[in-house]
Amino acid sequence: MLNSFWVSFQLKNTYRVNSIIYALKQIPLIKKILPDDLYQNTGIKILGNIISGLIELYTIFIGKLLYVATMIFGMVYVYENQMDQANLFIHIFTFLTFAGALLNTYMFNPTNDKYYAMFIMRMDAKKYTLSNYMYALAKVVIGFMPWTILFGLLVHAPLYVCLLFPFFIASCKILMSSYYLLVYQKKKKIRDENHPVKAIWLVLFLFLLLAYALPYVQIAITPMIFLVLAIVTILLSLLGLRYIKNYNLYREIYKEILTETNMKVASYDNKDVVKESVLKQIDVDQSVTSNKEGYRYFNDLFMKRHNKILLKSSKKIAVFALFCILGVIAVSLVNEPMKVTINQAMLQILPIFVFGMYMINRGQTITQAMFMNCDHSMLTYAFYRSPKVIVLLFKERLKSIILINLLPASVIAVGLPLILYVTGGTSNTIEYAILFFSIIAMSIFFSVHYLVLYYLLQPYNEQSEMKSATYSIANVGTYMVCYYMLKLQLPTLTFGAVLVIFSILYCVISLFLAYRLAPKTFKIRS
Amino acid sequence: MKLVVEDICKSFGEKQVLKNIHYTFEQGKIYGLLGRNGAGKTTFFNCLNKDIPVEQGKFQIGEESLREVTIEDIGYVLSTPQVPEFLTGREFLKFFVDINKDKIKDLKSLDAYFDFMQIAPEDRDKLLKDYSHGMKNKMQMLINIIANPNILLLDEPLTSLDVVVAEEMKQMLRQIKKDHIIIFSTHIMDLALSLCDEIVVLSNGELQDVHKDSIDEKELKENIMTILKGEKDYAK
Repeated sequence: MLNSFWVSFQLKNTYRVNSIIYALKQIPLIKKILPDDLYQNTGIKILGNIISGLIELYTIFIGKLLYVATMIFGMVYVYENQMDQANLFIHIFTFLTFAGALLNTYMFNPTNDKYYAMFIMRMDAKKYTLSNYMYALAKVVIGFMPWTILFGLLVHAPLYVCLLFPFFIASCKILMSSYYLLVYQKKKKIRDENHPVKAIWLVLFLFLLLAYALPYVQIAITPMIFLVLAIVTILLSLLGLRYIKNYNLYREIYKEILTETNMKVASYDNKDVVKESVLKQIDVDQSVTSNKEGYRYFNDLFMKRHNKILLKSSKKIAVFALFCILGVIAVSLVNEPMKVTINQAMLQILPIFVFGMYMINRGQTITQAMFMNCDHSMLTYAFYRSPKVIVLLFKERLKSIILINLLPASVIAVGLPLILYVTGGTSNTIEYAILFFSIIAMSIFFSVHYLVLYYLLQPYNEQSEMKSATYSIANVGTYMVCYYMLKLQLPTLTFGAVLVIFSILYCVISLFLAYRLAPKTFKIRS
Repeated sequence: MKLVVEDICKSFGEKQVLKNIHYTFEQGKIYGLLGRNGAGKTTFFNCLNKDIPVEQGKFQIGEESLREVTIEDIGYVLSTPQVPEFLTGREFLKFFVDINKDKIKDLKSLDAYFDFMQIAPEDRDKLLKDYSHGMKNKMQMLINIIANPNILLLDEPLTSLDVVVAEEMKQMLRQIKKDHIIIFSTHIMDLALSLCDEIVVLSNGELQDVHKDSIDEKELKENIMTILKGEKDYAK
């Protein structure tokens, strides 16, 4: 048994160390200094092992610390002075433990290491499961112990409660696992832990409600009740353990749990998942047609078949924006102080809208779909790579994307000056125009920005993996700049004027670059 | 018409994949390009298709006077079929015919093309993402044939097809070979022997001719194996 555990632990560790090394190799500057025979290199192996050990320690202690500190200890202070802190602590903890047992048994969690060990390496399913299950339980007890003692004593819970809690948690998990094993034995039904059914959600919700709502009506579990509950659970769990130990259907169960789709989702390498989900973005509605010709026909059908992520979603955003604008107007009409605040805000608010426009722009989703559902295959055809065609299609796409993004943008662009007017207006009429044009300019800017980035840096390789560090950096940079804008408070007039001029300049320069360079840069990465 | 390959060299890092390749391919014949896994068959095609640059040498085409091979001369069918998944078969074909109208000789109706490729009427208006591997392959082949390129490069195109589709494709290739130079790469010897008029072996970065006619099949296979294993050069 111990041997079996050791073998599987090493397997898991090797896998993890290799993943860490692989991750290191993906970092732009670091990958240059790392040697090619990385996976043989002892120094890096040791580094990987250290990181792997830290991850293991993290999974044992830190996650549980965060859980106890925020979900339980922190919540005790929400009910400040209403009732005894120790009772509150015990009460919330007990019900969350029930919820946790339901949600996370370890045994029914589909993970890669299980798949590798039992199916690829053909380890004995029972020995593997039992030994690793024991380890998982030990991790629960050891990982919780310091925190139940620390936080328990902080709220003045009796020491025996603090000491019992980790065992109580483990016992609940054991009982839950044995129950599921029993269900499988009787009915051949299995639960997939990562995709709980509705009933499970309902029970879960109930437990959360009991945990957090009962204290509101001054009801909580006392240490005595907990003591009885814990002793009963722990005694019962001994029976459960015996059942688990004698159980013989593990291989059968894992055959069901560790299906291919589950493994794909759990896999570190999620490119297949991405690919599949992007493929799903194609609308199956074949009644969609186009009366255009050639490349216009091609682009038109692309946009229409991706309606779900393009026009439809931009319509939704437009409607949502409309409601928000109407809401703000309604509030300002009935509430005089709000009216003044909103009016002042309108003259300061533009930087926030940089982030807002960034968030609603569909550029990144569209270019990803462009590659995976279209250019990935089309770029293998020589005619599609000719400079003339690349520029022609770039223009067509740019037009479509700008139009799609302009729909919600124009709602906002009209809405903002309208709000300004309704809330009392401004003495400087040019501010209405600035609000309108800067929103429109931003919308066009983001549309151009994403498409030009895509054409100039085409970041995907043949396997549809993103391979360009520059592209990632450009995207993160865009996000950071937009996010930083949230913190700015600048007068609409000057900021808006600068924004419009910047957008125009950016578009002119980047389009010039795209027309000149895209024929060379727009190809599948090798 | 002939395709003349002159002194082509290509290396990846230290490894020289193509070493001073000289060869002349002729119209009307199907050439079977045999080689072991990793021998450089796809690299050779990629160089010819200008997907990757060569370090030295040139590809020329013509009857008497030769000119540089251009991208329009080549149709390249990849081993994994690549088609735009968001279009139906008919839409893809219409698009392709649209953009090549002035280049296509004796333009036919879309359905006539589908008939030629034996793509069933009920499949023609399905999205390409729902096509099977074999059907995608047919679609890709069709697109490459319509443009009527002088040279047709086929990279292991039949390897993953079922027997019926593979047989249909073979028939089709024999049907169109008189107007094209067809080079067909494979690592399956029997396929090369049954379909191709000439066998060319790529081994150790060099192209070598194997004559089919004068010797019996057993001896032929032995000759090919000898070259593939790289034991000694087989003299013509």
